[in-house]
Order: sequence, then C-alpha cells, then structure tokens
Amino acid sequence: MITLWAAILSKLPDWKMFTQAFLSMFIAIGIYYVNKFLRSLVINKGTPAQRENDGKQQADHSNLTVDYEDNLNAIKQVIGSNSDVHFREFEATKLRARAVLIFIDGLQNGEQINGCMMRILMSDTGANLTDISPLGLSTYLLDKVLPVCEAYEAKELHDLNQSILMGCTALLIEGMPSALLIHSSSMKNREINEPSSEALLRGPRIGFTEVLSENTSMLRRQGCNESLEINSYEVGARIKRKLVIAYIKDIVNPDLLQEVRDRIETIHMDFIAESGYIEQLIEDDYLSPFQQAHNTERPDRVISGLLEGRIAILLDGTPFALIVPVTFSMLLQSPEDYYDRWLPGTFLRLLRFFAAFLALMAPALYISFISFHPGLIPTELAVTIIETRQGVPFPSLIEVLILEISIEILREAGIRLPKPIGPAMGIVGGLIIGEAAVQAGIVSPFLVIVVAVTAISSFSIPVYSAGITLRILRFGGMLCASVLGMFGTILFFLILCGHLSKLKSFGVPYVTPISPFRFSDWKDLFIRAPLPLMKKRPKMMKTQDKKRMS
Amino acid sequence: MFIRTDDKITTTQTSIFITDSVLGAGILTLPRSVIEAAQTPDVWLSVIVGGFIVILVALVMVKLSQQFPNHTVYQYAKRIVGTVPGGMLSVCLIIYFIVIAGFEVRVFAEVTMYYLLEGTPIWAIVIPFIWVGAYISSGGINSIARVFQIIFPISIFILVLSYFLSIRIFEIDNLRPVLSEGLVPVFKGLKSTVLIFTGFEVIMNLVAHMQHPEKAVKATFTGIGIPFVLYLMTVIVVIGGMSVDSVLNSTWPTIDLLRSFEITGLIFERFEFPFLVIWMMQLFCNFTSFYFNASLGISQVFGFKIQTVIFGLIPAIFITTLLPERINEVFKLGDSIGKMGIALFFLVPVLLSFIFIFRKKVLKQNV
Repeated sequence: MITLWAAILSKLPDWKMFTQAFLSMFIAIGIYYVNKFLRSLVINKGTPAQRENDGKQQADHSNLTVDYEDNLNAIKQVIGSNSDVHFREFEATKLRARAVLIFIDGLQNGEQINGCMMRILMSDTGANLTDISPLGLSTYLLDKVLPVCEAYEAKELHDLNQSILMGCTALLIEGMPSALLIHSSSMKNREINEPSSEALLRGPRIGFTEVLSENTSMLRRQGCNESLEINSYEVGARIKRKLVIAYIKDIVNPDLLQEVRDRIETIHMDFIAESGYIEQLIEDDYLSPFQQAHNTERPDRVISGLLEGRIAILLDGTPFALIVPVTFSMLLQSPEDYYDRWLPGTFLRLLRFFAAFLALMAPALYISFISFHPGLIPTELAVTIIETRQGVPFPSLIEVLILEISIEILREAGIRLPKPIGPAMGIVGGLIIGEAAVQAGIVSPFLVIVVAVTAISSFSIPVYSAGITLRILRFGGMLCASVLGMFGTILFFLILCGHLSKLKSFGVPYVTPISPFRFSDWKDLFIRAPLPLMKKRPKMMKTQDKKRMS
Repeated sequence: MFIRTDDKITTTQTSIFITDSVLGAGILTLPRSVIEAAQTPDVWLSVIVGGFIVILVALVMVKLSQQFPNHTVYQYAKRIVGTVPGGMLSVCLIIYFIVIAGFEVRVFAEVTMYYLLEGTPIWAIVIPFIWVGAYISSGGINSIARVFQIIFPISIFILVLSYFLSIRIFEIDNLRPVLSEGLVPVFKGLKSTVLIFTGFEVIMNLVAHMQHPEKAVKATFTGIGIPFVLYLMTVIVVIGGMSVDSVLNSTWPTIDLLRSFEITGLIFERFEFPFLVIWMMQLFCNFTSFYFNASLGISQVFGFKIQTVIFGLIPAIFITTLLPERINEVFKLGDSIGKMGIALFFLVPVLLSFIFIFRKKVLKQNV
C-alpha cells in the first residue's frame, strides 16, 4: 500500500492526461444519452393514438330498423356513392315483400347469388309465408330457405357496411329489422407456389399465399391436431385486417402467450400493410440490427416452430408468417437440416456458421492483416499479397469499400432485373467488373477473392433478413478494423457479443443456448443430433410439455 | 417464470465469472515472475501449492458470504462491523478493484503496442477498451456473465490448442532436476503464484447474485480449478519449451514460446496470432469483471446509481492505467497488487469472519 501511494504521489498526471480522461467520460455519457433519447422517441407514442381511436369507433353505432326504406337509405348514404357497390332490388315473391341484395363487384360469386338466393326468393312456391312475423323471418330464412353454409344475421349498420365491403353479400327484406349476410366471396388469388425466398431441395414445396384462411388451413392440413389453436385479432384503425396467432395449446408457455397477446393489442396504426409492420411494432429493441421475429413463407417451418413452443403470427394479405420468439441459432437453420439425415444436416449447418463468420468478418480481417499486421500471416502469402497490391493507389479500406459497395449495388440491382437478364447481369457485374478493376489496378486480385467469398457466404444464410443484418454489420467491422486493426476487429466482436447478450426476443435471451448455457439444447445448435437423441423440446422455450418422444 | 426480472446468474455462469476474473494478464507474465522469484524449474510445484492455498482462501470468503444471502460484501461488511468501518473496508476493496482494472488495461495496451499496433498512442488503445467495458458493464451482472459465457469456450479452446501444439518443442529435461535445491525455492515462488490468482475476491459479490447460493462452493471450485489447471499448463509448457534461462530474458515468455515454432501447412504458421486474439478477449473479460465489481461497490457504499458510477469510473481507470510510466513500473504495480491482495484478504474476509463469529457465538448477537 505504502509503495503504491508513493508511486502515485511522485507522478501526478499532467493536464493532458486529465483532459483525455474527462473527454473520454463525456463522450461516453454523450453516447449514452443519444441512445436513451432515440429509445424514448418510440416508447411514448402508444397512448394518445389509442385514445383517439377509441373515440372514433363509438361515433357511428346504430341499429337497423324495421323500415326498409330507412335501412336502404342509411346504407346508400354511407357506401352507395361507390361505383362498385351494386344494389339489386327485386320482389321476393313468396314473401310478397321488396328485397335488395347488396354486393361488391368482383368480390362475390355470381352463380351462388343467382342460383340460390334469387331463384329461391323470386320463385313462386305458393306457400303462404305472410303469417310469419317480421322478427322471426330471418331465423326462418336461415333455417329453412337459404341453402348457403356461411350465412349469418347482422343487426348493426356499421358492421353490416363493413361486411359488405369485405365481400359479403347482404340481403335486406322489407319488414325484417336485420340483414342477412351471405358469405359468397370468391376473391381471385394466386395459386400455391413454392416459396421463392426459401427454396429447398428436399421438403414440401408448399408456401403460404396472400389469403389468411388458406394459410391457416395449410397449418391445419399439416396434420390432425386438436390442440393447435388459432385466435383471431383485428388490426389497423382505418383499414382493418385480420391477424391470427397460432400456437399449440398444451406446449406453449402461457406467460409467453400472454406477452404476445399484450403486444399485439398495443398495435395502433391505421393500416398494417405487411407482417413486417407487425414485426416492427412489437419488437423488443428497435435499435438492434438483429431481427426479433422470424419471417417465413413455409408452413412446415411454422409448424415445427409451434412444436418447439413458439407462437406464429399470420396476417391477411401477406404470405410471410412471423414466428416469435426468435433466437440467434434459428437464423442459421434451414428445415432441410432435419429432412436430410443427421450427418449431412450437421455438415451443412457447420458450413453455414462458418459462412456467417466469413460474411461478417472476412473484409475486416483482410483490412487488419494488410494494413496493420502483415507480419502475422505466413510470410510467403504476405509477400504475394503485397506484390499484387503494389499498384493499388488506395488504402485497403477504400479498396475494400469500392468492391464491397459495387457488389452490394449489383445484388440490389439483380433483384429488380427481369428474370432472363438477371444471371447475365450477374456474370457481367461479377466477372467482368472484377476482372477489369484488377486490370485497371484499382483493387488487388486477392481482394476480389475475399469479396467474392464474402458475397457467396452471405448468400448461404437461409434467412434473407439475417443475411442483410450481417451485410450491414460487415461495414461496421470494416470501419473498426480500418481504425485499430486487429484490436478494432476484436472490439467490434466484443460489442456485438455485448449487444447480443443484452438482446431479448419476447423475454428469451437471443443467444441462448450458448448463453445462458443450456447444454441439452446444443443438440440442435452447431450440430443437428440424430432425431432419436432429440427427445425433448428446447429448454429455452420453457414449454408445458417437455417431451417430443416418449 | 418466462420473463426473468431478477438479475441473478446460474452456477455455471458463476464458475465462468470467477475463471474470467482470475485468468488474465497472468498467462503472459506468470512464468517469468515466478522463475525470477524461485530461480529453479520447480516452480510448477509452487503453482500447485499456491492454487491450493487460494482455494482455501476462497472457501473462507464463500462461507462468510453464504451467511448473508442476497448481500454483497459491501453490504454485509457494514452489518458486521458497523457502517463507517465497513464502508472503509469496502473502499479499500473498491480501490483494489480499480487498480487491478487499470493494471489489466495497461498490460493489454503494452502487449498490443508491442505486437500489434506499433506507434499507436496509448490512449487510442485504452479509451475504446474502457468504453466497450462500460457498455457491457451497464447491462448488469447477467449480461456480463452471458458475454463471458460466449467468449469462454473460444478462449479455452485456442489456449489449450496452442499449448498442445507447442509440445513439439517441449523438452522434459528443461524441467529437471526436480527439487534439486530443496523446497525453499518452491516456497519463494509461492509469493508470485498466489498473486497470479488475484481477482477471485469477486466471489464475495457473486454469491449474492447467484440463483442457488448454496452451490457457491462447487462454483468456486470449478471457477478456480480451471485457471489453476491452465496456469499449471502455462508454466510447464513454457519452461519445458524455453528453459529457465530464456524465460528470464523475455518480457512476455508465453508469446515468445508460441513465436518460436512454426507449423507449416496451416493458415497461420505461428500460433501467436490466434493466441493474442483470445488473450485480448480474455483480458477484456477480466477487466470488465473488476470494472463492474468496483462500480457495484461504489454504488452500494455511497448510494449512487450504478450507471452514474460506471461513467464516473472511466476517467479514474484511465488515469490509473497511465500512471506507471515504463513497463518495469507496470510489473512493480503488479507486485504491489499482489501484496494488496494479501493485505485485503486479512482485512476483509478473515477479520470479518472473526468478528462475525465472535459476535454470534460469544456475544450471542443477531447480526
């Protein structure tokens, strides 16, 4: 202690050191507050929108009346100005009453309307129906007359209008204080295709479509299971859309289910265009580069997620379902790992982890080796690389940026290009530009190899959005490496580790099972253990039913 | 409970936390410092004896901490000896942690400047390092433990692999003769081998954060056992590969050992590069552990928010880091840290245990 004090007293630090010390503190505090401010921007927004929304909904709630003319006028007033809303008035012969069918052009099935409704209502059966009271009429029609399976009664004007606009056919009859809604929609939708964003060699070729009912039916068709529950929600304040959450009742953790429900109920937005909106509105950390919900087009992927105790969120109008919570390991898994035998599955998975590492770090390592530590690579290799770099006029960061950015542009352009030109452009871009850049002496040939390997590696990541994350982070790594070399790269890795270990998706730590360490879940992490060994569900999801096999 | 709200760590995490707090600069400096003290190749015996002493000491600390569930040493010191003396003991411990943290950063900066970034100003290395440490510390003990858990397997793997590869230049004759000068040098070496385990004091704070504090003894055994084995390997491999004389002449003997052989056919012909990388990460863990424990201490003793303390410690650690001017002073500081560690051991756990037992058994007080 005494020697230490003497050492401290004899060399009091000079003002320069103090300036550096306090500057470093203030910069850190500054970063902290900027971060806090950015987060506070998002959190405070939920409540006022909700109140406004509640007020609006209570405004126009009125019921249908007995008076036919009034009802018709009320409906016409709200939706009658649309040219695609059709009012077909006729005389329901056997009821001796006027009636009207209201439907939207292109949303209804004409044959059904003609065949069932009009024929039955207009034909004169001779039976005397006038003694039925107007109040019982709707029940009578539903029970005895109309041969339609999806038909129900609507008494409330607002709901009625909405249902008509959603594609139902409404039947209004004189004297009846309610309307009958006949679900006859036959919206045209595309066929079920193989999902283009997640192509597989082995496995089902089925992918979700834009129609929610078809998607949920695809989940049901995966196999008979009475504990698969599908709950429906309505999202969007102005344009309403159906959203369902699917889970397996006796596997999912109830706390997780409640959390997902709570978060979905906080969504207040006028229109939810795609499931990406949901993902962004319910995620834990909006500043994180990592996705916190897993999007997929594959029903098999969803169902296996459900069986692990996760929850799926499906939105009408998009083929992309969300699976929550997501963990880091999921981003590098493909359903194919399980369909193939375990040895190829394991091999491919290890390969993907390696590819992810390359996609993230290869350019950063190149920069730090070339600019800072050429002595650390084998001498002959170092000599070769430096020889080829001799004519390059830029520092290695600029050199890498030139090629990386042009590859990224090429990739972005490749998505937009029409299919027949795409591959040709790839060849032109990749081969010719690369070759020409080397010839012109802008970049070194070794760098072309590095960038090409990086690009190919990032294609091997099975989840597209995870690939983008790695592509963004790669530039961060390159910047760190260009400032502090290998030390900067290590710091970048440490920051990434720190961020990942703080990040949670719906309460599940993002990097589990690596940390918190759950050894039994390692069977499905870097390797894919033989199926008979994977007797239990992942521990991280804290499922009710722990066993997969008995 | 699905969403955890408590900031507790598991038994495995505790072990790794202790390992990462102990295993730091010592990997590079241990062989030389211990041979300087003992002058014989028998120093591996010193490591074994030193390890056992440290485990016993750690047991005292664990047993004492287990008497006060959910209390860190900063909190129970006050309860045993009163607010002011307890606070003073805690302040000693906090200063100790800050000085070790500064020492670790300094050793880090020295090695980085020597091998990787020649000519870079030292502040450019130290400040980003402290910032990243501050970022991780502010996540609380749970995220720190998780970061350790990610880094731990990588570093142990590379460490053992590099030692394993250096077997090709290992000569058993360098370790012979055993006990040629009797047991005296072994005990002389003990001084520096005990010092190498400094940092295990964090166990006094960790017990309070454990999910199952009753397993703390087990966690401590593993947590000190792993660095014990690794230090033993370091000493044996380095002396066996380089001989006593060349170890004495080298500043960082372990790196020199790895530089002295080449493996053709691998991407890296020399293993010093991956070794340096994992050692840097390991040292970072080491630093973060002390940083966090010091901040926790200040926030618990003086009642500040821990986030404020973490920011406040940035300049303190920075100045501590830059205080020693030359590398010899850095090593001298390392020695004084070891002495401080011994003094603190008698001041904190031993003294506290005696007073605790005295008050409980003799005075029949309810502490």
